[in-house]
Amino acid sequence: MNLNIDNLWVLDVAGTEIWITETIFNTWIIMSIIIALAIIARIKLKSFKLVPTGFQNVVEIIVEVFDNFATNALGKNLSYIAPWYFMVFVFIFSSSMFSIFGLRAPTADWATTFALAFASFSLMIIMGFKHQKGQYLKSFFNPHFVFFPLNLIGELAKPVSLSFRLFGNMLSGTIILTLYYSLTPLFVQFGIPALLHGFFDVIFGTIQTYIFVIISIMYVESAAS
Amino acid sequence: METVALVIGIIHIASAIALLNGVTTTFGQSRVACQAMESIARQPEAADDIRSAMFVGLAMCETSGIYGLLVSIIMLFANPLVDILMSLLG
Repeated sequence: MNLNIDNLWVLDVAGTEIWITETIFNTWIIMSIIIALAIIARIKLKSFKLVPTGFQNVVEIIVEVFDNFATNALGKNLSYIAPWYFMVFVFIFSSSMFSIFGLRAPTADWATTFALAFASFSLMIIMGFKHQKGQYLKSFFNPHFVFFPLNLIGELAKPVSLSFRLFGNMLSGTIILTLYYSLTPLFVQFGIPALLHGFFDVIFGTIQTYIFVIISIMYVESAAS
Repeated sequence: METVALVIGIIHIASAIALLNGVTTTFGQSRVACQAMESIARQPEAADDIRSAMFVGLAMCETSGIYGLLVSIIMLFANPLVDILMSLLG
């Protein structure tokens, strides 16, 4: 583990340099695992029975739990955007699980978290215009048009605070584990770091995933209704 | 050389001060958790709702602590002023 994000290699596309960093490479690994699982689930979907057994049980539990959670938070008429949040949930959760293996989590890079938060922000604006039409634009001038700059800053701060929250939590775990690995002698690096990984990756990762999803759901819900 | 040492020392003190907001953040978070415990004890059947609201509240409180952490990290590892100083000193 390292504090810096290493640059693995540089691609040269039409005169512009594209840096393939550790974050991008780790994201590709996570993407390939998730896509493989999704394809397996899709193939197995054909042979699903009315009474679930084994693999079907697991898939049904995951989907059902998340569907209930999203329907409760979003309400019935907005629940069609729940699959996007399921994707965000699975990606952030698996990337914090990824750092258990001593590799750098993609969410410990601000670019990743800002991309996710900016996508949520765009979704918020689109849903606001779709469901409230002109009313959404009018809500920026609430309660008086003098407050427009304040409202605008308040809206623009949403993706920044959302992304910094996840990034800071993941980065703090990475920093503490890096310090532990680099400052202690070799014979205490077996067993004891498992506790630290359990605390910073599993517990913090799960709580921060939940919080990222619930707060972006709250933003969309408040914009759309 | 002395100027650089002074600047680096001041940067370390400043990042320590930036991390001091952990005191107030922890105090706020403890208030949130305390109130949630109290209301769960009063109404155990509403525990799930209270718990999810508590997590959101805790995350909101934690934001300022995270900002302090980021400020101190930026001051220690990615400080633009040190580069300017280095180029001025040659």
